[in-house]
Amino acid sequence: MMNQAQFTYPPPPNLLPVKEGKNVFRVCPSSQEGRAELFSTEGVVKHAARCVVTSCLALMVGVIFDAHLFAQQETIYMSVLNSRKHRLGALDNPTVGLFVSTDAGLTWRHKGWEYTRAFYTESGPDGTIWSACGNGVHRSTDGGATWRITTGWEITEVLKVKVNPVNPATVYAATGYGIFKTTDSGETWQEKNAGFRKAFTSDVVIDRTNGSLLFAGTEEGIYRSTDGGNRWLPVDAKAKGVRTVVQDPHRTQIFWAGTDDDGVVVSRDAGKTWKSANLGPQHLTVYTIAFDPAVSGVVYAGTHGGGVYRSLNDGRTWKQCTQGLNNMVVHSLLVMPSNPRIILAGTLNGGLYRSTDGGDHWVFNSQEEGQVWGLSVR
Amino acid sequence: MGLVGAMKRSSVILCLILFPALFGVSQGQSSFEQRRLRLIDVISGERDKGFFTVTAKFLAGKDKEFALQMLDSLTTDESIGGMFYSYAAIGCYLTLHDQLPDSLNRKIRQAFRDRTMYRGDTENHWVMYYTGIYLAAQTWPNEDRSQWFNGKSSEENFEEAEGWLNQWIKITSTTGQGEFDSPTYFITFITPVLTLYEFAKDPVMKRKAQMMADLIFADFAVEHLKGNYCGGHSRDYPEDIINPLAAPAALWAWLYFGEPKLELWQETRFRPRHRGGWETVIGAISSYRLPDIIFQIATDRSKPYVHTETKRVRNVIRFGLEKNPPVFKYTYMTSHYALGSLQGGILQPIQQHTWDVTYVSDKPNNTIFTLHPFYSGKELAMFFPEEQKFLADEVDRYHKIYTNPNKWNSSSPYEQTFQHRNAIVILYSIGKDAMHPHIDGFFPKNLDERVEDTSGWIFCRAGATYVAFYPLKPYQWIEEDVNWRWRSKELKNGVVVEVGSLDEDGSFEQFKQRITKGKPEFKGFDKKLTVQYETRSGHHMKFTFNGERILNGKQVKLTDYRFFNGPFLQGDRRSGVIKMTYKDKVRALDFNTVSIKE
Repeated sequence: MMNQAQFTYPPPPNLLPVKEGKNVFRVCPSSQEGRAELFSTEGVVKHAARCVVTSCLALMVGVIFDAHLFAQQETIYMSVLNSRKHRLGALDNPTVGLFVSTDAGLTWRHKGWEYTRAFYTESGPDGTIWSACGNGVHRSTDGGATWRITTGWEITEVLKVKVNPVNPATVYAATGYGIFKTTDSGETWQEKNAGFRKAFTSDVVIDRTNGSLLFAGTEEGIYRSTDGGNRWLPVDAKAKGVRTVVQDPHRTQIFWAGTDDDGVVVSRDAGKTWKSANLGPQHLTVYTIAFDPAVSGVVYAGTHGGGVYRSLNDGRTWKQCTQGLNNMVVHSLLVMPSNPRIILAGTLNGGLYRSTDGGDHWVFNSQEEGQVWGLSVR
Repeated sequence: MGLVGAMKRSSVILCLILFPALFGVSQGQSSFEQRRLRLIDVISGERDKGFFTVTAKFLAGKDKEFALQMLDSLTTDESIGGMFYSYAAIGCYLTLHDQLPDSLNRKIRQAFRDRTMYRGDTENHWVMYYTGIYLAAQTWPNEDRSQWFNGKSSEENFEEAEGWLNQWIKITSTTGQGEFDSPTYFITFITPVLTLYEFAKDPVMKRKAQMMADLIFADFAVEHLKGNYCGGHSRDYPEDIINPLAAPAALWAWLYFGEPKLELWQETRFRPRHRGGWETVIGAISSYRLPDIIFQIATDRSKPYVHTETKRVRNVIRFGLEKNPPVFKYTYMTSHYALGSLQGGILQPIQQHTWDVTYVSDKPNNTIFTLHPFYSGKELAMFFPEEQKFLADEVDRYHKIYTNPNKWNSSSPYEQTFQHRNAIVILYSIGKDAMHPHIDGFFPKNLDERVEDTSGWIFCRAGATYVAFYPLKPYQWIEEDVNWRWRSKELKNGVVVEVGSLDEDGSFEQFKQRITKGKPEFKGFDKKLTVQYETRSGHHMKFTFNGERILNGKQVKLTDYRFFNGPFLQGDRRSGVIKMTYKDKVRALDFNTVSIKE
């Protein structure tokens, strides 16, 4: 908390510029909960989510007291599979693949190959970036400047890649042909499909407190492994066509899954038993689930046809949050850790939307007609 | 290699390419030499931007400056890339690099470092991609990971490409192609295979490529009729399905089989849809020579024959327990027509063509067939990893027609066939929830005759070919541009078709008389879904949807089909040995020992 500027909140309605070095910041009243965003003229965003604005005077005189609020930088990874604008053989096809943002999604830079079909990307604790792509698992160890396809012809149609949070050399890939695992940062991969009747796997999640405990979302339901993927056993979740499995960020025993036709299911005992946490009868296809990192029990779901749903009570009831959302097929969601009021929603063929009020309102952000398949942050 | 060496090598290549007659040409195909030179000449005059056009221009010594500009553009335009690019680029480089300025050669090399060479997601994509990678890694060995677009070293790239090509050759020669017998995608297999044959330094890989070229051509030859790729296909575009000589494979038939006799590029009625790609130049410049036995198999239609074969469904990744279920294919070939079919069901997504009769004609649209225009996200999700509720819309965007009720290609779980020689029974049991609850039939407008007989048969004549078509249920005719669309909206449905010809039946009237002596028996069809029919040759066929196929009282087991079985091509599944026979000639491809025996 050192070097923290103190401002009052809310800031004045007419935002005044604040200088810090070369940057001129404006404080934006994006939140009703005592948070502010600072936008700079050079694209730098101060992660002001937790700053407390105590002095209008500071703004008015254009001074920030040692304005490096929080030095941590959040990098968002957006995987764009394709674009509806794409035409076979056309010379002006939009660039797809990986885009990154370091200003909470305000601006984006493309990284890597221009026309790679990227499903999902995430960065490990060692800074290595992993991309799940149609042509294998891609790895960059220099922030996305150069890449290597770590897999050969045996591994293809990779839908998710997940890095062990403790041992970043261990990575799992969920593919159309099952689960594959590397323990040497992608130099070699092993198939880990023992126990699956059908191998098609959309997602895999690693328990952040126990790297040997895994859950896989498969065509036939949720599978659980307690030995790092060596053996899988189905769980009794009564949900097939599992598209996503995630661990609750607040309670390690809780896992959530989104399915093709069975809505949301949740386990509160580390995956032993599962119950429905349905959104209601209308939209039972759930591609993505995200959480408010600050408030336990606030859950978001991206659906096919219903846009974004939000629950404030741990999945007991849900409310549709679609104002401003012009595409109702939401495949990826990201709640900014530093400011949970900022949420990104990636749609299929509608591009990326951004909310600055916890999902109440959405504004189109980028990737016109793009298929924003995956979002992650580190 | 020094300049003199390079010039010598270049001269030798040019001599081999342009004057192979000096080095001996296989008997019976001397006209091939004329056709290939004609093709190089024609393509060299084209302005379409592509590696094949560049290659033709250089070899013909025509428009070299323009060709250089074109090549420069191909190597600097970063929006071009992927699997179509990789094999064509390296093929062009390996053919021409001695004649290209160093700057262009460097740019081609650079493309393999900087360009997005995406692998794609279909069998033909991978053949093109790995052929390109194999040859590029062979050409630029011992280079580290930083020198390649995918971060792999030359050795890693070579090993991966070689590994995949070997397993593709193995599965194709033992259980069949996934994208089998496609009049359109034929080019995306034969062209990289010939490129691999031309430039692979490893004699084993070179031999394998030669054997694969033999296999692909032989597989085409047994179902070839005057330029038409007949019968059922894994994948084809509707424009080609309703106009078979418009398919890209027809140009390859012209080049290698000498049929049709027309120069297709000059015939707007048969204008090959992919003509702009001019991939055939790879055949025209290749040192590969079609074995004479395949030429004979492709062109001798003096005796009718039955040919059966098995192929495989492309990789099923969801909603199935078998990764590559078998496809059973039946073709009856005569000098006038071919009647061919797949067993029905979902064997390929999107572009399946299940059955047809294709006849010899100097008119376009020389085919008759039916289908159920099925589509579903679940069908696509069997083969693609994306969301099933999103896939139909996505595929429709590329193929334009996937969800269209009037489409002319479809795989439907509600369609099944049973063929015996020149008779076929096609049954439909369309689900109540099907998006398009009707079946359609394609009848060209340019038929010489189309008669609705009071017996219930519809008779058609196209030149010397006769078709008898018996619908089980009421139907209507819809007039369209080049065809009549026969449509029936009954969910429990079917047609029985017999095909004949001047040679088999005499006059059209005689054919009609023979046919009208009988008609299908289908009492209680809506419950039993069974049809019985005695062909005009006296063969009794009994077929039940989702049930047995019975011929003359004996059950026909499709699983008994061999890999290839017919007078010209034989082999057993998983044996790895395919034998071609023609009169007293034999040519056996033994993929186990990578050898050819004659």
